[in-house]
Amino acid sequence: MMIKGIKLDGKKEVSISNEIVDFSDPNEVYIPLINNGVLCECVTNEGRKIRKGTVIGIRKDIDFPILSPVSGTVVGIADGLYLNNKDVSCVVIKNDKKEKLVEKKLIEDITSYSKEGFIDVLKKCAVTGMGGSDFPTFIKYKNDVEILIVNAVECEPYITSDLMLVKLKAEIILEAIDAIMKINGIKKCFIAYKKHNKIISNSFMKYINNYENMYLAPVNDLYPMGWERSIIKSVLKLDYDRFPSEIGVVVNNVSTIFAIYKALKFQRAITKRIVTISGENFSEPVNVLAKVGTDFSTIIRKIGSYVDKKNIRIISGGPMMGFALKNDSVIVTNNLNSVVVLYPEDDEINECISCGKCINICPSNLCPVFIMKNEGNKDKLIKLHPEYCCECGLCSYICPSKIKVREYVKEAKKEVKK
Amino acid sequence: MKFKTEIGPYVKDENNTNKIMKKLLIALSPIIAFGLFKNIIMVYYYTGESLLSLLNPLYIIIVGVLTSLITEYLYIRFILKNNHKETLKALSTSYAIIPGLLLALVLPINTPIWIVFFGAFCATLIGKMLFGGFGKNIFNPALIGYLLIGAAYSSKLGSYLNIYEFDTIGGATPLANLASLDYISSYNNIVGNYGNLLNFFTGTIPGMIGEVSKVLIILAFIFLTITKTIKWRIPVFYVSTVFIITFLIGYTFDLGIWYPLFHILSGGLLFGAVFMTTDPVTSPITNIGQIFYGICLGILTVLLRFLTSYPEGVMTSILFMNLLVFLFDKIGIYFKYKIKRIYIPILISIALITSTYYIINNALNNKEENKNTNIINTEKLSNKTIYTVTSKGWNLITAEVTVENKKITDINVTNNDGETKWNDIENANYLDKLITNQNKIDTLDGISGCTYTVDGLKNIIKVVMEEVK
Repeated sequence: MMIKGIKLDGKKEVSISNEIVDFSDPNEVYIPLINNGVLCECVTNEGRKIRKGTVIGIRKDIDFPILSPVSGTVVGIADGLYLNNKDVSCVVIKNDKKEKLVEKKLIEDITSYSKEGFIDVLKKCAVTGMGGSDFPTFIKYKNDVEILIVNAVECEPYITSDLMLVKLKAEIILEAIDAIMKINGIKKCFIAYKKHNKIISNSFMKYINNYENMYLAPVNDLYPMGWERSIIKSVLKLDYDRFPSEIGVVVNNVSTIFAIYKALKFQRAITKRIVTISGENFSEPVNVLAKVGTDFSTIIRKIGSYVDKKNIRIISGGPMMGFALKNDSVIVTNNLNSVVVLYPEDDEINECISCGKCINICPSNLCPVFIMKNEGNKDKLIKLHPEYCCECGLCSYICPSKIKVREYVKEAKKEVKK
Repeated sequence: MKFKTEIGPYVKDENNTNKIMKKLLIALSPIIAFGLFKNIIMVYYYTGESLLSLLNPLYIIIVGVLTSLITEYLYIRFILKNNHKETLKALSTSYAIIPGLLLALVLPINTPIWIVFFGAFCATLIGKMLFGGFGKNIFNPALIGYLLIGAAYSSKLGSYLNIYEFDTIGGATPLANLASLDYISSYNNIVGNYGNLLNFFTGTIPGMIGEVSKVLIILAFIFLTITKTIKWRIPVFYVSTVFIITFLIGYTFDLGIWYPLFHILSGGLLFGAVFMTTDPVTSPITNIGQIFYGICLGILTVLLRFLTSYPEGVMTSILFMNLLVFLFDKIGIYFKYKIKRIYIPILISIALITSTYYIINNALNNKEENKNTNIINTEKLSNKTIYTVTSKGWNLITAEVTVENKKITDINVTNNDGETKWNDIENANYLDKLITNQNKIDTLDGISGCTYTVDGLKNIIKVVMEEVK
């Protein structure tokens, strides 16, 4: 099965060398009232004393909670910069730094959950996809699952947050995978990672022989290998129509597995995550441990500075799929894995020369150039199936005329769904 | 601090339109250099003519390039009303010199300069700017220039031979020579006049400035393919299709492998395939569309070469197929999303190629047959003419055919020795039937068991009818 993609310069070594810097103690946190792109309702109010784990927001359509990562006082509602470069209303909480929990729990045997209990605890603890999607994880486990693929590919350049997590928590991650497998009756688990990434294979190698039916699955160093469809194609040689659940497969990011561990062991949500700050225009590339809700600019000020202070391109997420931000006060959320600071380089956009490079590179096997040329023509767009686009951005990457092809496909996606 | 927002991705491939054009020029430069070397330096060396009198090929290229560049500048500057800076910027990414350059390379070396000017001007103005400029043109601009030159001034184009070749070789281009030989002849007649096939390959035969050196064109193709600059599928399938069909024809007529090779190495096929069909703007975008496009180009070129009075066929084929690019992309998109049905285009291609072979084979066979039928004597009387014709039946048939007022009135067979079933012919009154059906002789039914005799008789009627017209 052919997997399309391209080898990008990883630039991982920039942020890998140093240890993790702890910034998990902010004075104030901003919790965006949003989940997987859906706005949520605030269920707390100003002046209320809350604890770590108190429900402060709710996503109505699936009754999914948003939890406080700190204990303290609700100061109010204010706009904060979400990682998609849009202002989202946030619950602002003053951190009393006492880390008082709603309820202290410790489950000795985390394999003891029933499937229903497992789904409940994932929902209660607001576990979402930490690779970037913020998709509620419990939904993926509603169907029967036969194969679990743990995604430790991290195919975007610069980002090393998953890698650092594996380096530090490999043993716990495997314990969580084992529990997930037993609870859901999963027959096999593959841990996918880039084949030259010795840190990941060595970290898991120490412990993986203690478990049955758990395998390391090296994949090629291609972008976008971290995409669900590419991983499944590469590891299982299988394809599916819309969702991996059609073939009984679940793909979870390795950080999400760690969040599941917290949910199973302590029945609480993760309140911190590792965020990579890297890029040529930042003086001290490093991984930081950040409290969810932290204004990232406070972290940036403490650890380093911009090399070129006048012209800054600051990106939330990776340089391929991330968003250039209008300022650096982006809020740390579960799905923010990195902040990349580059020198702005804007190419001039030229006329399309119909070279067809976007068609040949598209990992979804679409025809981006024709989607672009049929902009706004819904009847024709439907036949071109833009809904299969994974928004990897390779069409824009490869275009010799520097046209933002992906944006046309994204628009077409919306147009078709109307 | 200033934060610059912009839509991603924020890392980009290093390739850009400018680099593509540079690679194209790099690929063309040895071809241009060889054309100038062969037609100027070599001729100077062999004939001792003054260098200045030999510079026409150089002028053709310079005038072609400059005319295209200036025409586009003036159009963008004054008709589209941009200032000088904007115009230069637009020109830097619009491949402005390419139409004139490609046109110059497919012209005969003695083309008058004013014709080059006319062609390059039309190429850029009509072929490119009037369609809305770079990226919007349907036809390859250079070929529009070529077409208009052919239509307006074909008689004034001048010889394609340089002075040295004029002395040593002379005569028609290899493909025109092939046509005059009715396409099937010996190696000596087809290739021998110009040297050997190696001369065709290296370019030491007469030909257009840029078209002759096939080895340099192939090297350019390899360079452009490795650097991912051109749509390589089109030339590969184009040339392969020409090769397969001409190979089959050569095989049928007992000619060697040299015959298809001659077809590939003659005229502008390789140059057109590598540089004209791959113009990104005027070629299909989808892979399957490109493959199919290449195959259809090959079929059309072969058909034009064998069945029409255009011995070259390449440029005409490309221009015509430019018109259908949208169709090939529709096909390409269809099969891209229905990948399981890929066998359909494969079957269609095979069917198209074999039927082309049969059509050409038939046409050539008819010509061969007619060759065996000869008028050996013509006797003119007051109101009628009597033709004595020999034709090949089982053996040799001789007949005297009387024509009055352009109509056959009588057939008198003087020799039918060897036609073993002549009785059947007589019993069927077949000679009378031939006379009544003389205008639609192909539709006349034969007689079972007498096929060869009937064909021989029919050929006599055909030849006489043609003679009378």
